[in-house]
Amino acid sequence: MLFEHFLGAEARRKRLLPRAPEGAVRDFLEIPFPHYRTPLDRVPILALDFETTGLNPVRDHILSIGAVVVERLEIQLATAYHQVICTEGALHEAGVIVHHITDDHKAQGEALERVLPELLQQMAGKALLVHYAPVERRFLQQTCLRLYGMAPVFPIIDTMEIARRRLDQRTALYSPQDLRLFNLRGRHNLPRYKAHNALNDAIATAELLLAELELKQLAKPPALGTLTLPPWSR
Amino acid sequence: MEIELQEIFDFISAIPPFDRLPPEVVTAVSRKITIRYLRRGRSLPPLGVEEHRLYLLRKGAVSIHSHRNTLLGKLGEGDVCTAFCLGDAHEPFRVEVEEDTLLYTLSCEEVEVLLQQYPDVLAYFHHTASHRLNLTMMKMEENRSLPSLLLQTPVRDILRAPAVTAPQTVTIREAAIRMSEARVSSLILTADEQPVGIVTDRDITKRCVAQGLSTATAVAEIMTRTISSVSSATDAFEAMMKMTRNHVRHLAVIDDGTLKGMVNVSDLLHLEGRNAVYITNAIRKAESVAALKEQSKTLPQLQWQLVQAGVPAQRITEVMTAVGSAITRRLIQLAEEKLGPPPVAYGWVAAGSHARREQSSHSDQDNALFIGDDLRDEDAPWFEALAKFVSDGLAACGYSYCPGEVMATNPRWRLRRDQWSKLFRKWITTPSPKALMYSSIFFDLRTVYGDKSLLSGVREEILQLTPRSELFLAHLTHNALKLKPPLGFFRDFVLVHDGKHNDTLDLKHNGLAPIVDLARIYALAEGATAVATIERLQEVAGTPSLSMAAAANLEDAFEFIGTLRIHHQAQQIHRGEEADNFMAPSAISKLERAHLKDAFKVIQTLQSYVESRYKVG
Repeated sequence: MLFEHFLGAEARRKRLLPRAPEGAVRDFLEIPFPHYRTPLDRVPILALDFETTGLNPVRDHILSIGAVVVERLEIQLATAYHQVICTEGALHEAGVIVHHITDDHKAQGEALERVLPELLQQMAGKALLVHYAPVERRFLQQTCLRLYGMAPVFPIIDTMEIARRRLDQRTALYSPQDLRLFNLRGRHNLPRYKAHNALNDAIATAELLLAELELKQLAKPPALGTLTLPPWSR
Repeated sequence: MEIELQEIFDFISAIPPFDRLPPEVVTAVSRKITIRYLRRGRSLPPLGVEEHRLYLLRKGAVSIHSHRNTLLGKLGEGDVCTAFCLGDAHEPFRVEVEEDTLLYTLSCEEVEVLLQQYPDVLAYFHHTASHRLNLTMMKMEENRSLPSLLLQTPVRDILRAPAVTAPQTVTIREAAIRMSEARVSSLILTADEQPVGIVTDRDITKRCVAQGLSTATAVAEIMTRTISSVSSATDAFEAMMKMTRNHVRHLAVIDDGTLKGMVNVSDLLHLEGRNAVYITNAIRKAESVAALKEQSKTLPQLQWQLVQAGVPAQRITEVMTAVGSAITRRLIQLAEEKLGPPPVAYGWVAAGSHARREQSSHSDQDNALFIGDDLRDEDAPWFEALAKFVSDGLAACGYSYCPGEVMATNPRWRLRRDQWSKLFRKWITTPSPKALMYSSIFFDLRTVYGDKSLLSGVREEILQLTPRSELFLAHLTHNALKLKPPLGFFRDFVLVHDGKHNDTLDLKHNGLAPIVDLARIYALAEGATAVATIERLQEVAGTPSLSMAAAANLEDAFEFIGTLRIHHQAQQIHRGEEADNFMAPSAISKLERAHLKDAFKVIQTLQSYVESRYKVG
């Protein structure tokens, strides 16, 4: 069934492509997504994390973007990417405390209009990896819609979803808290990171993916399709 | 600008040898890392990794096994697995993941490129354990090549004040009398209270006596009119340089035109050993055991001061041993005063660490008596009384009674020379493992007081016999190999052979003693006369028993562990605790752990050599 979801993503990409406006979105959609049967060790993956002012993609803003490539199931720190975004309006105080991004930092940031094309270029041909997909997906779609007039489709692996399915197969009950990135990492003997920024969280998510895969104790890496999400979910 | 990969940067820059790199290089290194995660039960290298890599353990644990399945080592957080990159001539090995592990990996080639400007750091990945240890020891030597006490001590702390002066109008004879009364070797001559010249005992010898000049001549005739001087804030090292440059042995210490005192070359030369010299002088003059006890109380403090002054471990134990010998000698003299003169010739002999000149302020007493062959039965009680007096005295001075009763108070070790000779002959020609277990200490002996020929005669016989006595050497080796160095460290534990963990590292039994034992085996196998471990290693270096290189490696290991021990004890002394040989791994820095591991490795290698050389049965 999950294969079909991913099949769906590829099908939607092909459907959207002719209608896509010239520029970043079109360039992104032109490159095929990795095939759903590809074993994960041969799928280029981009672990992604946004720090945002809130959860509403229309009202709230992206504060910073962190990303790192996972190739051959290894996190390639050479590709580590961190970008602070400058947005209009003062930062919400609560958000500042969580993300440690002050107005001063923000002033050094780049406008999202300039950052997004290079990010889409990075994402092209790769599977995205996030922990709790709705935030990144919605912010990506909303931003593309605002900037380019079209919200493309994104093939996403969600570590929270992987963990949820694993926990669902057990008889023991779990609380939603158990699915938080921090708590899941603890279960896998992954280190506690002190700093919380988008890049650290992207790396943390990528490490969690590696740990979840190892937990399955598979002889071979699973096919991409078994892990990706239906593009229309939520 | 903040560092993007702060977490990873912080982690790497705390791990040796990366901690020696500047931040920009650590940043470059972290940019080349790939992260892997492996579940318990997997092995290294991970599936699909073909190139050789360095593995930094961020979380988790791995163990390294030989192809024969013996545990070689265990790595935890913050450890680096270099096994795939290099140097160490390995037998086949395998690395198993023991706990779910997050690894930072770097290709060995990449490491080469990144660190080519830092040969010191690269050496860590390239060289064998012994080579690394050698580099470390060379660094330590360099760091203390300047006698640091000279550098740390200002002249004001050692000057003799006030300076002894006389008007320049006095005769040479009057000057000489003035000097000898004041027990000084130089005299400052003044005119209107102002210094105008200097005369030394050498000047009087050379310029007056040797020239046949009348001692009634005015001293001004032979004085030196330029007075070499320093200020009281000058450090002792600079003062010594000034003496060397000006070819003088005395300096006036002058501050703002005021003569503060004098300093001479022997004041400077004695600076390092000043306290030891002072203490041994006081010991020689002590009139009672109580007075000796007072002096011996300053020993831990002396050890601490020597460590602070950067004196090498070997020198420190030599000084501590010298003081121990002085106490022993004075006790024997006090005993003779009480008991009357000895009925026959004898030698008071130190055994073990005292004989090897490897004592610290915390040492047991090990001793024996070698008595002349002409001892009559009725004179035996004199020696018993001597042994009791000295042994009790040593105990009062902090040298605990030997738990194994290796003391002259024990009649088994209070023998005539011919009895010793027979005993040694028995130990060597019809060896039994059990007898040798207790007697190996008697192969490290040194006469501290009395007739040295009694021991040296027996020693000659011993060294004639031992090189040809394969079975004896085999048993000696068998016993020696019971003490093995640990494999290394795992987290805050000491990892020992069966994979068990210990809370503390016993620097004596698991570090120094195995080297002492090896050196003894080599020395006896080669008939070498040296007793001190380092001297034994140097004497046998290049013989069939021990190659030059292996000897140098063992020396480095001995010196490194010895340094760690002496520093550990100095800290305990400073905290007001009793000094011991037990160190908690948490108190050993990451770098020291790495060096220790190298030292252990050197010992292990040489232990396995002698093991195969002298196989029992």
